[in-house]
Amino acid sequence: MAAALAAVTALIALDGAGPASLFRHAYLVPVVVAALRFGAPGGALAAGAAVLLSAPFVLPEIERSGLTPDAAEGLVTFAVLGIVGTLSGALRTRVGRHRRRYETLVALQRALADEATLDVALTRLRAALAGRLGFDDLVLVARDGARLVVAGGDRVVPGSLVARVLDSGIPELVWDAGRDVRSRRAFAAPLVAGGQAIGVLAVERKGEIPAEERAALEALGAHVGLALENARLASRQRLFAAELAEKVKAARQELEELDRAKSTFVAIASHELRTPLTALQGFSELLALRRLPPEEVSRLAGIMRREAKRLGRIVSDLLDLSRIERGLDPALCRIPLAVEPAIVATVDLFRQGTASHPIAITCEPSLPHVDADPDALERILTNLLSNAIKYSPLGSVVRVGGRALGGAVAIEVADAGRGIPAEALGRIFEPYYRAPDAAGTTHGTGIGLAVVKALVEAHGGAVRVESAPVIGTRVTVILPAFHGPVP
Amino acid sequence: MWALDQPCAPRAGRLFADTPLALLAVLALGAATTWALVELGVLAPHAMHVAGVTAGHGALLATAFAWARVRSGSGVVVVALLGLAASLAALGGFGAFAYLGPPLWVAWLARRGRLAGLGLGAPVSLRSVLTGAVAGAFLSSHLLVSASRTLGVHVRLDHMPEVLAAVGYDVGANVLAAECFFRGALFNRAQRRWSFTVAATLATTSYVVRYLVDPLLPKSIELLVGAVFYLALLGAINCWLLWWSESLVPGLLSALVFFAAYRTLGSG
Repeated sequence: MAAALAAVTALIALDGAGPASLFRHAYLVPVVVAALRFGAPGGALAAGAAVLLSAPFVLPEIERSGLTPDAAEGLVTFAVLGIVGTLSGALRTRVGRHRRRYETLVALQRALADEATLDVALTRLRAALAGRLGFDDLVLVARDGARLVVAGGDRVVPGSLVARVLDSGIPELVWDAGRDVRSRRAFAAPLVAGGQAIGVLAVERKGEIPAEERAALEALGAHVGLALENARLASRQRLFAAELAEKVKAARQELEELDRAKSTFVAIASHELRTPLTALQGFSELLALRRLPPEEVSRLAGIMRREAKRLGRIVSDLLDLSRIERGLDPALCRIPLAVEPAIVATVDLFRQGTASHPIAITCEPSLPHVDADPDALERILTNLLSNAIKYSPLGSVVRVGGRALGGAVAIEVADAGRGIPAEALGRIFEPYYRAPDAAGTTHGTGIGLAVVKALVEAHGGAVRVESAPVIGTRVTVILPAFHGPVP
Repeated sequence: MWALDQPCAPRAGRLFADTPLALLAVLALGAATTWALVELGVLAPHAMHVAGVTAGHGALLATAFAWARVRSGSGVVVVALLGLAASLAALGGFGAFAYLGPPLWVAWLARRGRLAGLGLGAPVSLRSVLTGAVAGAFLSSHLLVSASRTLGVHVRLDHMPEVLAAVGYDVGANVLAAECFFRGALFNRAQRRWSFTVAATLATTSYVVRYLVDPLLPKSIELLVGAVFYLALLGAINCWLLWWSESLVPGLLSALVFFAAYRTLGSG
């Protein structure tokens, strides 16, 4: 550029036409080239140099002869060079700045396109911006709850420029950050999202950070803030969608399991209903078709009575379950009820039916009455005793007892069976659920304990189970005591 | 990174903080006394020149040193050296060589790292030195061509002893003091408070004003306009040289080249 300017000057000198030399227009070439290559400073500098070089041709003319047409042409050339160099340089600078801004925004979007944590996103952003903005140093800080994520440094020192801007949300320029001969400028702009400072973009440079560049950085801070917030929202949305899918999957699995359990229940219930029906059908046909001695008739009638009761119990359980599934409590008719006689009556029924397990009754003396439905209490006890007998070895003792417990009465049924596996303990009160080891070995609908729980809770009581492998299982039913006068 | 791990310092102090007012007062008093004694005929007229050089350039150098936080004794030493050099130069002959005293003292201080605040002492690249020399040469050649075409003055080599004495004065007092103060101290401080443009304008304007009030500058209007034009250009270029190279050396060199060319001009 300097050589071109010197060459044009030499041509003007050799031409001998003074300030009106046609070669003076050739100054425009290096001036425009410098403006297009180096922007505003280059254009202004080249124009200045051209004016300086042509001044020795113009100024002596003015001194000698005043403002002649030739001198005026020289002065116009000065003006044209200055205007062309400065304007074209300024336009070139502005175009370059806009291009860089758009490229930066595209790079910013690319950096945040993938799913990433805030730490990773900030590091990527910093890498994308550092190479484009032309600063000596760049740091990005973002709030993540109470934590500050820093890309380009270790931590934010209290009282530092970044900390101040983070607190105030107002951009700040420090003219002299350091001790270098050429002053080091530091500028920090807030990353804004939703009207709040969610972080800071800080830059440093040895040299100027002009007002226009600072304004661009502020705008960039707003873009980065918005982009970070969008990335954060997108990440949250993805997380929410994943959680939702997981929940839908779990619910579907639960429904499938319930469906399977119901199918199993239908099969089991049919079997359970068919057994007493078959007995009733068989024995009633026998009684109708044959003439039997009175003792035999009495025995068969006893069996039929037991099977009919069993059938009745199953049907009652199913009705109760149906009410439970519809969200209704079982229908109760509560009266003051003595616990020990109720236990003895139920145990007697079992003793009549089977002598496979001795049943021991231990009740505290002067046990208070409970406020309960007699039929419901009988079904509770029947279900518990039936389970205890079903799941304990032949000959082992089943213990039934009652004791006062604060303002309530606790009824316990304990067996010496194999116990309930720990993983099944939490589910034994679910309708249709049967412990895996019980399902294949004993008969049952899987609704007995669910009905027990529903009946006890309908009384305002509670039921709990303690079980240990090999030692056995103890079910405790707590029913509210009756506090009024017993009729 | 400073913005992250350094507490944000409070705003810089006053622009003229650390100015050695006592020393400046003493220098002013000395110059005034000398002027009075010359007026009374007690001292010879050239004593006023000695006092002016000592007080004027000494004040600039001592202030620059004080702003760079150099011990006050260094300022006194440089004032003494300037006074001695001006006195010896006034005697004629090889007396002008005494002007090498102040730059040697400055070089010694710079070598010991005490003038880092003025941009002296740190290594400087050859590229920066060459840029300074080229800038000075460009401005000098422009001056020579313009002056010969407009003012009728041209390069004269028939008064070399005077030229060499003037160059000695420039090396030891004029250029050294002006660059140390207007660029190394004033511009350096101003650019820590304001933008480059504002700082350079302030330093360059002060620089031009300093020469306009210099009694040694010829008072013809053409020369004054020329002085303003070239000194403003030289000042702005030297501000940029300090800013760009982070050293005062390129600016010193460009100013020396320019003033050396200026000293060769003569009429007739």
